[in-house]
Amino acid sequence: MTFDPNDPALRRRRSRPQLARRDVLRGGVWLTVGLGAAPLLAACGDSSSGPAAGGGAPYLLARPDRPVTLAIKDSNPPIGDGLDPEEGGTFNILNYAQYMAPGVMKDFGKKHNVSVEVTPYNNYDEMLAKIRQPGESFDLVFPGPSVLSKMVYADLVQPLNHSYLPHLENLWPEYQDPWYDQGARYTVPYTVYGTGVMYRADRVKSVPKVGYDLFWDKDYAGKVYLLEDRQEAIGMSLLRNNITDDVNTANPDDIKRATDSLIELINLVNVKTDVNAYSEVPEGTATVHQCWSGDLIAGQYYLPKGETPEVLGYWRPADADYVVGSDNIAIPKSAKKPVLAHLMMNDLLDNQIGLRNFGWNGYQPPLTKLSAKYLTDQGYIPDNLSNAVVVRSDFDKGHTFYEVSPSTEALWQSNWARFKAGG
Amino acid sequence: MADKATGHDRATRRLWPALALPGTLWLIALFVVPFYAVMAVAFSGRINIFNEPIPAWNPLTWESTTFTTAVTDSFTPSGVYHEVWVRTAIYSFWALVICVAIGYPVAYYAARLAGRRRGLILALILAPWWINYITRMLAWVNLLQDDGYVNKALGWFGIPPHSWLSGSSFTVVWALAYGYLPYFIIPLFASLDRIDQRLLEASRDLGIGSIRTFLHVTLPLSRLGLITSLVITALPMAGDYYTNTIVSGSPNTNMVGNQIELFLLEGPQKNIGAGLVLVLSLVLMFFMFYYLLLTQRASRAATR
Repeated sequence: MTFDPNDPALRRRRSRPQLARRDVLRGGVWLTVGLGAAPLLAACGDSSSGPAAGGGAPYLLARPDRPVTLAIKDSNPPIGDGLDPEEGGTFNILNYAQYMAPGVMKDFGKKHNVSVEVTPYNNYDEMLAKIRQPGESFDLVFPGPSVLSKMVYADLVQPLNHSYLPHLENLWPEYQDPWYDQGARYTVPYTVYGTGVMYRADRVKSVPKVGYDLFWDKDYAGKVYLLEDRQEAIGMSLLRNNITDDVNTANPDDIKRATDSLIELINLVNVKTDVNAYSEVPEGTATVHQCWSGDLIAGQYYLPKGETPEVLGYWRPADADYVVGSDNIAIPKSAKKPVLAHLMMNDLLDNQIGLRNFGWNGYQPPLTKLSAKYLTDQGYIPDNLSNAVVVRSDFDKGHTFYEVSPSTEALWQSNWARFKAGG
Repeated sequence: MADKATGHDRATRRLWPALALPGTLWLIALFVVPFYAVMAVAFSGRINIFNEPIPAWNPLTWESTTFTTAVTDSFTPSGVYHEVWVRTAIYSFWALVICVAIGYPVAYYAARLAGRRRGLILALILAPWWINYITRMLAWVNLLQDDGYVNKALGWFGIPPHSWLSGSSFTVVWALAYGYLPYFIIPLFASLDRIDQRLLEASRDLGIGSIRTFLHVTLPLSRLGLITSLVITALPMAGDYYTNTIVSGSPNTNMVGNQIELFLLEGPQKNIGAGLVLVLSLVLMFFMFYYLLLTQRASRAATR
């Protein structure tokens, strides 16, 4: 594939908008109709509740230093070898909105004579609610490490048959055998990313040693944004407060201290929160914006006419303090086209197709071939933003968010609510 | 004869409740049941592994801790949500003031002075309803952004550009007023339209000027319509959360609806969200009862 930055199809791409402006509408539905219906649905799940409500989950919580091999049950076996791919009808994908290149999906549909459809979600709670709807069937889903264990426990996803996935070997070795799913039994990785600071290089005079300090700089008041994501925002503040042993901490004092620092930002710079760094920094609405590394790649296509990517900058901490994350691909148990689902998974791990998908959504698949040098040489990333490419060493040393107990999650959320209430 | 009349009476007696049946069912299905579900969530502390609340359907098992905390956090000055409630009240108040200042003259003009153009004016008032609320708010983002048309227009008069969207209360209040203005005008228009023309003529015949006629005849007669309009506008405004998400996004302007959204969209504490919904409902119900009291008094005065 040749890459043409002027291709209009490329300009329309979006990065992972977990709560983009237009999606606020869907939140409204929650408040009105959902409030009535959701508890009714939840009542059906009564039996699976017991231990989780107390704080301990009925399954092992995966940790980078305590990898988990997810069980394969007799009642939920993988598909057999050598089956013919299903044909005709629809291939249903459950994914974040705008998180897979339309061209990739279209070509896949053409090749296998299916129409590919995406059902979008904004967060994992919503994804879980959708995948658990009785009678609903999806062929592909994108769970991160923090929801995977419970989905396996509740039989929501099926084990993979590696004989359909020869491209697994294109992956970084650690992602052929990741900590949250040893042996890649249920998932293959989709994208990897780090969290840093995106800024307008033409407005920021100098980048301090700890780039997070840019948020606390009065000079950029009114133009400072954090990610609308409690883990990313509070986690960043933890690191800035030198609380670096555990970015998932359950220590109330640490979380409070980090949140108090965030609250300073309200009066200091009138901080705002959203997940639109990829458009707001290039357009100039934001001067400094906490962001995911993929936002930089997408951001170059949101620059106003006549401006070059040199006006953008990315600050990321050193390896050991970098917060990194990944999203995975899995096949729901309810899949009607499981063979085809394996084929699409394999396609996304193909160097060419993976690159094409990356070129559209800005988020990087952990494919060995797509190194920083390769991506800059190919023109996907301007030289000044090459630090936005995530590399293997980030994952050896960096921090990552994983599944915590509901009580810890509640602690984080209550602190986030305190920040959002204006202190 | 007598028998027939009783049969007829009986039929009517059955007919009216029967006519109320669809409405009652609707109310039960779409208000009572969901509201009870909210209570069942608010008074339950349990969730399943998918972060979904497990409602406590049986009132005997209700735990009130979360709800009491929501109340104290809302109404004690040091409470986490206290500021949010104060903000919600102030924003709603000023947005209503703007609605009265703009909406009353428009409704008055449409009802009394527009003549043949009245249809056109009503159509124009209703026109925004053809466009989705979110879309209209997003349009304001384009108008108000740093290099948007509002700043360009100000530039023609030599006024320096202002960052309207950088978390300003002013913008949020105006956006709320703009969003809900049609809801305000329509009921008010209906009530102004109903005022008997002869009363105004009588006032003028008695030699009273138009300003005093307005103050002593029109305004008192439209008082109930005005209050209806205020209530209809205030209820959704107080629970609004997307307006300020779109035009501000700053913790400095968060309203109680935003806090509710935060807890309900995701996470393990949907019971806190449900608790705040209940508190909000109680506050609004208080005003609603006051309104009902006023209308009742007014109708009693009218029949006396």
